[in-house]
Amino acid sequence: MNQFVLEAKHRTLLLTGVGIGVLCLVLTFLGDDELHTRFWSNYLHNTVFFLGIAFMAVFVQSAFITAWAGWYTSFKRVWEAASTFLVPALILMIPIIAGLWGHFHHLYHWADAESVANDPVLQGKSSFLNTSWYTFGTLIIVGTWIFFGYKLRSLSLQEDKMAQTADFKIHKQVRIWAAAFLPIAGFSSAAVIWQWVMSVDAHWYSTLFAWYTAVSWFVSLMALTILCLIFMKGKGYFESVTDEHMHDLGKYLFAFSIFWTYLWFSQFMLIWYANVGEETVYFQTRMEQYPVLFYGNLLLNFITPFFVLMRNDTKRKYGTLAFVSITVLIGHWWDFFQMIKPGVLHTAHEVMAHGHGAEGGHHAAGFLMGFTIPGLLEIGTFIGFLSGFILYFFSQLAKEPLHPTNDPYIEESLHHHV
Amino acid sequence: MSAPVSSIREPLINGGKTYHQITEDICSPTEKTPSTAWVIAFIIAVAGLAFYVFCVAWTVWVGIGSWDLNRTIGWGWDITNFVWWVGIGHAGTLISAILLLFRQKWRTGVNRAAEAMTIFAVMCAGQFPLIHMGRLWLGFFIFPYPNTRGPLWVNFNSPLLWDVFAISTYFTVSLLFWYTGLVPDFATVRDRAKGVRRKIYNFLSFGWTGSAKHWQRWESLSLVLAGLATPLVLSVHTIVSFDFATSVIPGWHTTIFPPYFVAGAIFSGFAMVQTLMLMTRKVLKLEEYITLAHIESMNKVILATGTIVGVAYLTELFIAWYSGYIYEQYAFYNRVLGPYWWSYVGMMSCNVLSPQLFWSRKIRRSIWWTFLMSIFVNIGMWFERFVIIATTLARDYLPSSWSYYTPTWVEIGLFVGTLGLFFTLYLIFSRVAPTVAAAEIKSILKTSGDQYTGPNAEKHSHAEAH
Repeated sequence: MNQFVLEAKHRTLLLTGVGIGVLCLVLTFLGDDELHTRFWSNYLHNTVFFLGIAFMAVFVQSAFITAWAGWYTSFKRVWEAASTFLVPALILMIPIIAGLWGHFHHLYHWADAESVANDPVLQGKSSFLNTSWYTFGTLIIVGTWIFFGYKLRSLSLQEDKMAQTADFKIHKQVRIWAAAFLPIAGFSSAAVIWQWVMSVDAHWYSTLFAWYTAVSWFVSLMALTILCLIFMKGKGYFESVTDEHMHDLGKYLFAFSIFWTYLWFSQFMLIWYANVGEETVYFQTRMEQYPVLFYGNLLLNFITPFFVLMRNDTKRKYGTLAFVSITVLIGHWWDFFQMIKPGVLHTAHEVMAHGHGAEGGHHAAGFLMGFTIPGLLEIGTFIGFLSGFILYFFSQLAKEPLHPTNDPYIEESLHHHV
Repeated sequence: MSAPVSSIREPLINGGKTYHQITEDICSPTEKTPSTAWVIAFIIAVAGLAFYVFCVAWTVWVGIGSWDLNRTIGWGWDITNFVWWVGIGHAGTLISAILLLFRQKWRTGVNRAAEAMTIFAVMCAGQFPLIHMGRLWLGFFIFPYPNTRGPLWVNFNSPLLWDVFAISTYFTVSLLFWYTGLVPDFATVRDRAKGVRRKIYNFLSFGWTGSAKHWQRWESLSLVLAGLATPLVLSVHTIVSFDFATSVIPGWHTTIFPPYFVAGAIFSGFAMVQTLMLMTRKVLKLEEYITLAHIESMNKVILATGTIVGVAYLTELFIAWYSGYIYEQYAFYNRVLGPYWWSYVGMMSCNVLSPQLFWSRKIRRSIWWTFLMSIFVNIGMWFERFVIIATTLARDYLPSSWSYYTPTWVEIGLFVGTLGLFFTLYLIFSRVAPTVAAAEIKSILKTSGDQYTGPNAEKHSHAEAH
């Protein structure tokens, strides 16, 4: 079966998922505080998370092409299709950008004129943390990613339709685009991660943050890839993707979960050890006011994949692979939750306190559903975004044949064994 | 039957070798009298080593006062050299362990020499923490042991102590890994030798017979060691970076240090591998095993890691400004435009800008460009450590204690001397052991030999058909 067809019942299921998401967002909005903090932070959280996964799909392809990897060729259409989600993701960013101009959300402390006026640190950053930079940075950078994702995908599809020549003309073009994307991705991803995520804690900074966040996306993409392949193999597609490929994907999931932990530890330990107040406050807040998020992060993203995937056979069995993939996919969604929520809530308190004396913003919040831990509305929103992602991804996948007949590495991938 | 290999890949063994020819080509340098080039190089290297011994003796006799350190700059060339050598010692184990996991076949051409280089580089690195104590005979103070010093223990909270553990573990595992790989090759050399030489190689190869059981145990041990070595590659330079990053000194305390140091270490390690391999392949006539394809692959790694390091430099600069923390901002202003601006320029141009030449395939495959660039990167990475250490220390929190530092002849002599130590060891290695892993090369012959893949293969199969 070389042509994927999305069954009607699955389409209905995914559309229902999207409906749940929309419903949850509406309910969140209606039951929210005066600034709609919970609604907007949920929206930002999920948009950034899934946008990043689509970006990683372009990045992984570029890295693998540049490294002359052959083994993944038989399922490379999965990543090509996943990268197209960048287009709807950019559209999803527009309400956030519009909100910065129209001041109808308060996600970012630096976007609040009154706060900036009384805050020399925010003033110092204002030539980077400002609405124009955010807007054009996002549009230009994500636009560039879309272009490269499109280029890689269209060349790959074109290769299928043309007779393979001895000089591998198309593949050589693909190599140039892929190699060119790597440094672009390296610099541009850092810039937008600082804007979208790190700047919700507008005072805080960490040089490692961009790489840490990017690896979180990377692991999420691997988890989604494994889940997608397991599902599609169950339906009879991707017969040429064997346990050997799953084993290698499992290794990626395992190794990069450890790498994520390495970066987590490096960032945490250095800040904890040096104990510079400006930096420590970030982890202090999370450990004391958000302990479930803080420790849960490690449980989901390190302890589970580390112990389950350590053995060889768990990387080859669909049960354990699916279990770990689901865990770390939720885990990295959780990671973004803990990156975004505390800062946004703090900003909201600051903004709400403008009329009530300077000290108002600094009181610690008690338990607050949707911030201290994700509530049912957050889970529903996640289901909505996930369903939307999968629906779009499947509809793109259904447009083209699954098997890249003319890829120069296809034979290697078909006979791959570890 | 081996797995199919895409015809887009280049062969990794040229010259249509047979298994026997591989044995001949790789073992014969250990069996002949050394060439003149080798003898001259060895004399120079041993002279360097002798000068090293002299400088160490001078340092111990006269004291650390023979260096030009002052109360502001307590770490000068010594720790710069230490970090530089540790960094170089990363490529070998990366090639052996991590490229093995990524199934990069080109590693087989260079892994043996790179692992040897790793071990020698770590040995050179290990000298500096000891020498910089000034009183070498008290070096055992760094080991935590039940002691006669009463309740006095080493400081377990200090990354300097973690370094002791990290580097000694790394050294041990790298040595075992390297030696394990050598065992079957030593046996091959033994089988061709006579007399005492045969006895020595028999001892070195642990009486290897090449039975199935031996190979099976050898494979299992290699796998276990690869598993241990992989996290070690990351941990060693991570902990070296902690020496700086756990402090509260602006310019040192930054969270990106661990991964950025590791990337920089791989970068400099590959540059040194290039320097050595380009000479080795020429002198020992190994051009058919260390091919242009190998050189190109390593140049790509250099380009990639150099660019990663570039991202890290710019991230540091940007976040220093972004932090709004005036001391951090000043530290970086000072780095770029302060009295040591020339070392920052040296670092940036050698590490970030010049490797960008490797975007050109022509330059990646040029021996001379590669050699030149590998020297550039070696210099650049030395500057990087000097920038981090001396520049940062020269301007501390108190302007009254600001100072400048230039090395004395003793400090320069110690650095040059470790180069002598390094090359002495490497030259001896190239005489007594096969510099290319013969057993591993043979394992990829059927998939990557030029009679099986690439343009020559077609003629070959055509001829067979007739």
